Amino acid sequence: MLDDRAIKALLLRTAARDEGSAEAFRRLYELSAPLLLGVAQRVLARRELAEEVLHDAFARIWHAAGTFDPLAAQPVAWMTAIVRNRAIDVRSSHDVSRVDSYHAAVDEDPEGSLDRLFEWSPAADEGEDRRRAAQWLRDCLSKLTAPERQSLVLAYEHGLSHGELAAHLKKPLGTVKAWVRRGMAGLRGCVEARMGQS
Amino acid sequence: MRHAALDALCGEYLVGTLRGAARRRFERALREEPLVAQRLRHWQGNFTPRYTPMIEVPPSPQVWTRLEKTLGFRRARSPWFRRGWAIAVAAILVVVVGLQLARQEPDGVLIAELAGKTATVSAHLSRDGRTLVLHSDRPVIAGPQQSYELWLLTPEGGVMSLAVLGSLDTRFEVPERHRGRLRGQLAVSVEPAGGAPGGKPTGPVILAGPIRI
Repeated sequence: MLDDRAIKALLLRTAARDEGSAEAFRRLYELSAPLLLGVAQRVLARRELAEEVLHDAFARIWHAAGTFDPLAAQPVAWMTAIVRNRAIDVRSSHDVSRVDSYHAAVDEDPEGSLDRLFEWSPAADEGEDRRRAAQWLRDCLSKLTAPERQSLVLAYEHGLSHGELAAHLKKPLGTVKAWVRRGMAGLRGCVEARMGQS
Repeated sequence: MRHAALDALCGEYLVGTLRGAARRRFERALREEPLVAQRLRHWQGNFTPRYTPMIEVPPSPQVWTRLEKTLGFRRARSPWFRRGWAIAVAAILVVVVGLQLARQEPDGVLIAELAGKTATVSAHLSRDGRTLVLHSDRPVIAGPQQSYELWLLTPEGGVMSLAVLGSLDTRFEVPERHRGRLRGQLAVSVEPAGGAPGGKPTGPVILAGPIRI
């Protein structure tokens, strides 16, 4: 599990552009590259393309470190977004979705993968807020309808577009778009209601 | 319901279904509109599940080697005669640049350089520690609906407002409680006109840099 505080300190040191920046960046890479390569590989399903994305994303992180929001609580989420967006772009340009091996790699059990891929009970030292937020999110995900939940997990895990989701789930595009939209709205309503009560 | 449309965009951005021109528009709004940045921070903080280590895949060593080359961390050593020239030229440059700096440097001690996309801003603290002078390498002035706000991020994790700014070229009195206690980082965020309403930053951070005293 990556420690957000350590990652944040390394990102800020990278952004400082002083004599310690290159070393901080190397350490940042060592700590987070395996996770980020995993994220890229779930989207791309091809090792060589995923490593290409990892290289480009870290070059981007080096240059964009100065724009990292020092107030953001989740620097790992910031880096993950850079990697995922880059992977999604590469996938559209390489048309990886048409490669047969890709479909074999898409999770056939997105319900089960929710608990395999994600950490829902963070360690005690991560703070009560983080633990509570994770618990709310997991509970609220289970309150969605199965197709809503499945669409969200497939889109998040594999970077599927609306069109690819429709093809994969064999449903009309409009239906799938509505699932994603309603799924997100349902999550927001449910999580915010719990926040309001606490 | 006021934020329903914005929330829908934040959600689709995070889940990855916001694509192409729509994603670029959203990313531009994220840089320019404090409300968008604030809302996305809410989404990232509360709706982003964290991956377990089972997803990790160790990269091959070539990725780092390439990255070092791309970013210029590793330079081939040049022959001694070129190095000699390079040192001589560098020495002359140091003298020239030094003279220039000596002439241009505002009063006080350089305590931080804040870097960002918009500009690079130097922060000089007067010798008596009472006045902070910001100097931007480009003229940057806040729009009519906006202010810039300078924050002190303490090493203990505190976030405190130092000043509300209309431009990145300015000088102001350091609030008394912070005199002699400027440690950590300085950051500038974009806020609604007049500064952040709740005393905590709400908008995107456009500049940041560590304090070196």
